[in-house]
Order: sequence, then C-alpha cells, then structure tokens
Amino acid sequence: MSLLDLARGWIVVATQSVGGGPATLLLIRREFVQRRAWLTQRQFLEDYALSKIGLGINLITMAGLVGSRVAGLRGVAVSLVALLAPAVAIAVGLTAGYVFIRESAAVRAALAGAGPVAAGMTAGFALSLARQSVRRGRRAVADYAFAVLVFGASLFAGLSPLVVIPLGMLVGTLLLRGESTRASGEVGG
Amino acid sequence: MSSLALFLIFLRAAALSVGGQGALPLLREDLVNTGVLTEGQVLEALAIGRIAPGPTGLYIVSLGYFAGGIGGALIAVAAASLPPIAMIVVAGTLRRWLVTAWVAGLVRGVALSSTGLLIATAIRLLAPEQSFFDLPLWQLVLAAVGVVLTIDGRIHPGLVLALGALVGVALGR
Repeated sequence: MSLLDLARGWIVVATQSVGGGPATLLLIRREFVQRRAWLTQRQFLEDYALSKIGLGINLITMAGLVGSRVAGLRGVAVSLVALLAPAVAIAVGLTAGYVFIRESAAVRAALAGAGPVAAGMTAGFALSLARQSVRRGRRAVADYAFAVLVFGASLFAGLSPLVVIPLGMLVGTLLLRGESTRASGEVGG
Repeated sequence: MSSLALFLIFLRAAALSVGGQGALPLLREDLVNTGVLTEGQVLEALAIGRIAPGPTGLYIVSLGYFAGGIGGALIAVAAASLPPIAMIVVAGTLRRWLVTAWVAGLVRGVALSSTGLLIATAIRLLAPEQSFFDLPLWQLVLAAVGVVLTIDGRIHPGLVLALGALVGVALGR
C-alpha cells in the first residue's frame, strides 16, 4: 500500500463517477475491495453505512473513512484531497466555460430543456431518498405521510427549511425510530 | 456578500442536511431570497453538477462560482466539507453508538424532511415566475422524464440532460 496508490484510487472515483448512487458505490468497491484488497467486503459496507448517516456530502465521509482504515490520518488527508481536487477543478472549469457561453441563443434554448430535466432529477433524487429511508411494513405509511406534510408546509405555507429540518430531527428521534435506514442518501451525493 | 457570510451559508446548509442534494432547499432560500443568485442560476448549477464527475453535491461549486467567482467556489467547497469531515472523526470513535434506533430515527427525520423540501424546491425552480400549470407541456414532460430516469438510475445523468437540451433547442426558441 502506498499513499500515491490510495490517491490514484480516489482520483479514479472523482473523475469517473457521475450522478452518485450505485454506480459510484461499485466504483469504490472495485478500486479498494477488489483491485487493491485494502478493505474486506464487510469493512466496505460498514463504512458505507456510516457515511450515509453523516451530514453533508456522503462521499467525502466515505473517502475519509476508507482513507483512515488504509493509512490513518495521512490516509484521510490524501483521500480527501484526491477526491475533491480533481472533481472541484472540473466543476469550476465547466462552470467558467458555461458562464462564457451562457448568453448565446442556442445555450438559452438548450437550458429551456435541460433546466426542467435538472429540476425533475432533483425531485427524482428526493423520491429515491424517501424510498430508501422509510421503515418496512405499515410504518412506511407514517414515514411517507411525514414527507408529504413537509412538502405541503414548504410549498403552500412557505415554511422555512430552517424550521422544517430541526422539526424533522425532533419528529424523527421521537416518532420515526426503529430499524436503521437502508440508505439516507446516495453515497455519491 | 462577504466571504464569511458565504462560508456560513454553505456550512449551515451542509450541517443541516443528509447528502449533498439535501442542502439545496436551504441554499436556495439563503442565496435566492437574499438576491445573491437567481432561481435560474440555481437550476444552472444543478445541471452542471449533474454533468460533472465526482460527488453530486458538488453543484455547490457552481453556486459558489456564480456568487463569488473561483474564490466563492472554493469557499463553498471548504464550508460544505467541514460537516462530513467532522463525521469522519465521530464515526471513527463512536461507530457502535451511531447504529442505534435513536440515531436512525434522527437521520430518517432529516431525510424525509429533505424529501418534502427538495420536491417543493424543484417545483419552485421549475416555475419561478409563473404558475406550475402555466408551463409549456413539453417542459412538464421533460421534468417528468428527469424524475423517472433518476429513480431508475440506469441512464447516465449527462445523457438525460443532453436529451433535455436537444429538446430545448428544438422547441425552446
């Protein structure tokens, strides 16, 4: 094992994974469980489960946990830099390029189509998140009902996320306990 | 907007969300309602974030860029990275405690709240200046296609967006 090889693994994930979800998960498993055998399947799944209950971007947590197993604190630092530096550089490049051409008529027309798709993809992600988070059996009805209630409160009553999210934490802790979530977000997110 | 204010906006959104996309409702509220960005720019950032490789939550790079250039993009990434980095430390020391029913409930509460908020946000972004029902039918159909193909997850997001862009060029002029 070398730190350089660890960095290579995360650079592959950073540059080849698009859209998060199972594809990203398979890529991480291929790089670190199958190709390099630095993690067992069980360790990989444990880190995956822990990354899903973390706040913010799950893939950053996942990279840090894997790096920690492989090379301690230095592994964490190398993994985070190798994951974020190329991905951020590409995102900045794409954004800067877009700003350069955004005023052209063709780009405005393309955005009139790509914009609704992007909004739909956000809603699709949200529905996947709900499906992966609800409990099994009848309790799923209560879980979905809570999500619908939040949707209505936000869209029709204009309730701020700053109110809704702490409320969700409280309701979840008191009323939605039970089995561990199957997923609380895409690992790629 | 000052760099510190921008940093705090991205930090708060990341600290109160599950997954990178979960931060979107808070970011939209803080950046659009204060006039820093428009709804259109948020939608543009989402589209770029879906095309770019790496974590899908990196649409924040584009949001930061629109708000403050390259410096803004780096501030966004730095701020949004802090909660997951803190989680690495917490997970490393409290692994067993994190798989209790209480924590599962708390995470479920945040995830289901995010679901409702994200769908409401998507609708607002789709129709910022008009009623949702006044949108052209072809745009509604494209949004529905985005929902279905994202849940299905088998088609590359870049291809899905490219399809939307092509339809936009054909019908959106």
